[in-house]
Amino acid sequence: MASLVKQNQKIITPLLWIIGLIVLVALFAPAIAEQRPARLVQSGITGLLVGGVYSLIALGIVIINKASGVFNFAHGWMMLFGGFMFYSFFSVANISPFAAGGLALLTVLLAVTMVGALRALRDGRTLLVAAAAVVGVTLLLLVPIPMLRGVVGAICGGALIGLAVERFAIRPLIGQPLFAMVLMTLAASELLQGITQMIWGSVELPLAVFSPLREMGIPTPFRFEGTGAFEGTIIVRTELLAAFILALLSFAAFVAFFRFTSVGLAMRATAENQKLAQAVGLRVRVILGVAWAIAAVLAAVAGILQGGATSLSLNLPLLALRAFPAVLLGGLESVPGALVGGLVIGLVQEYANLLFPGTQAGTELAPYVLLMIVLVIRPDGLFGQKRIERI
Amino acid sequence: MSANIRPSGVFDTSYGQDISINRTRGDKWLSNGLLIALLLVPLLTAEGPLGISLVPQLWIGLIIRIAIFAIAVQGLNILIGYTGQISLGHAAFMAVGAYTSAILARELGMSFWLALPLSALFTGGVGLIFGLPSLRVKGFYLAMATLAAQFIIPWILRYPLEGITGGSRPLEVPAPSLFGLSFAHENAMFYIIIPLAVIMALAARNIARTRVGRAFVSVRDNDLAAELLGINVFSYKLQAFFLSALYAGVAGCLLAFESNSLSLDKFLLDRSIEMLAMLVIGGAGFPLGPLFGVAFVNLLTQNIIPSIIPSVKGVLPSLFPFLNPINVDAALSPLLFGLALMVFLIIAPRGLAHRWEILKISWKLRPYSH
Repeated sequence: MASLVKQNQKIITPLLWIIGLIVLVALFAPAIAEQRPARLVQSGITGLLVGGVYSLIALGIVIINKASGVFNFAHGWMMLFGGFMFYSFFSVANISPFAAGGLALLTVLLAVTMVGALRALRDGRTLLVAAAAVVGVTLLLLVPIPMLRGVVGAICGGALIGLAVERFAIRPLIGQPLFAMVLMTLAASELLQGITQMIWGSVELPLAVFSPLREMGIPTPFRFEGTGAFEGTIIVRTELLAAFILALLSFAAFVAFFRFTSVGLAMRATAENQKLAQAVGLRVRVILGVAWAIAAVLAAVAGILQGGATSLSLNLPLLALRAFPAVLLGGLESVPGALVGGLVIGLVQEYANLLFPGTQAGTELAPYVLLMIVLVIRPDGLFGQKRIERI
Repeated sequence: MSANIRPSGVFDTSYGQDISINRTRGDKWLSNGLLIALLLVPLLTAEGPLGISLVPQLWIGLIIRIAIFAIAVQGLNILIGYTGQISLGHAAFMAVGAYTSAILARELGMSFWLALPLSALFTGGVGLIFGLPSLRVKGFYLAMATLAAQFIIPWILRYPLEGITGGSRPLEVPAPSLFGLSFAHENAMFYIIIPLAVIMALAARNIARTRVGRAFVSVRDNDLAAELLGINVFSYKLQAFFLSALYAGVAGCLLAFESNSLSLDKFLLDRSIEMLAMLVIGGAGFPLGPLFGVAFVNLLTQNIIPSIIPSVKGVLPSLFPFLNPINVDAALSPLLFGLALMVFLIIAPRGLAHRWEILKISWKLRPYSH
């Protein structure tokens, strides 16, 4: 029997897939048939748009996993921290120079001491560049253009958190058992929760990033009237659409960064093999720090976009947990996988909400059920590398 | 491992002596004495039969809480410490045990003594289902699969089973009784929970020393090598999941009957994280680890952090004027807990029990302890 299965694996595997698909369709067909076609289209569009932000979160998680080999369970709180950072510099009229200077100083300090404090101090040129960076960033944070201020603040805050977590939480645990690492990122998320709650409180804050769109005369929301079989109104929220487009643009920007810059090349080399990367003269420690900083900035961008599309609240970190199924679906090492996974999770979430109304099925259940299915059927994800183990 | 180091002058003359848990007379006196002293504690409270308040009543609740979580974390220790499979869904398994026993008692009128083993076995079965992905994945992937359990199980309890679980409303649980004796008071529950905790701890200790336990450890150390040695890795992984969920089920059932009321927010992700923290702080893979960890984390979250908060609360807003004092109050406990965990993980990533072992060895080998 076993040999028979093995010989015909090429036929049996697709067969199993097809049977699974048929069962799935048969299970959900009655529920889907009950829905009006317009509602189905509506959920599909909303799902795709929501999925954009998931993709961005997933990309951050993939980057960290490729660099440090860690699942960053603190990603959601990094996201909220970045979003709140943006809020502070975007919405508050007069920024205290001390707060701006302190933020700039801390970030640059962490960045400069990445290779070691002493080496940074001995090098006069590094010190000069660092001092210039502090002054420059502080001035940027004080410029009276809210959007610029907010973006610089969020990037700065994101990089600060990413570098700090890498330095003080992940690096000391290299070589320790896996569960220590899991617990460490969870502990970091507790700590970030405390810091975020302490500075901004637990209230829901609206983030008016996309309000300029309305002033530009773009209708909010877009409405499409369907006819015939698709009778009904399809509503596309402008904020969601803008967040989706910006998410895809940032995704593309970061992919281009990895593809076409020398830092990106160094990061890819390090992800491939840390020892070899070190052997050809790359500073692996710096690259790991940069990877965490980039991932945290991505999280901050996702936080801003999600905050603009809905609002900033303590629910945002739960959203990042739903990006983990997206990561695993796409494949842990795969950047295009993050994009596809994110979009699929968005779709699954919206359709589950449509089919099982009133039960939070989309946000609390469907992504995790999908995760279980992926883990059992195809643990490497759609685009992930096959893991080969040796003793 | 250090377990074989004896004080000088103590020799084994039989295999029975070699594997006994209390090897020396001192060990025996110490463990029996501690157990008896513990069982005497409720008699010395203000609400005890003697009516003398030598021990504050608060301690009873604290000890019960520690004992219940020690049972749950023992289960986690079997899974993580011995078998090396990470679980982030332990609180959800506790919820299964708690709700199963509560429903058995409420809907079927079953007594506590029957509901306890049934709910434990049922929870073990649920654990098997969520252990299935361990066939193909491990490490962080498995952490994700169990995280899925942490979301799927409460969802099922909350929405499809709302009719019998009450959804997000609290559920009342009748107090256990035996031959007409009611165990409604916490001093009485003490005498159910503590012996059970001791039995479960001894069972966990002994499971680790059997063929099954050694198979668990070999799976943890290298599953491919274990498979080459002829160990059925998948079967043992599933057994570990079953046992771990069974322990969680017992703990959940005790929690339900102890507090007489049950609500789902006792079993959220935070609780799973807290239990993982207990295990890692205590020392995963050490028999005493869960006890150390539960006691320490309870002390940290219930006593140490609340006592630090008032002093920090005054200082922080004066140092950083942009902080709102109201926010500081709410945020300090997660902040301090996270900070303590991180510091602890960096200083002692192998846990308190590891330190304790080192201490014990250096004591037994004195004055040549290095």
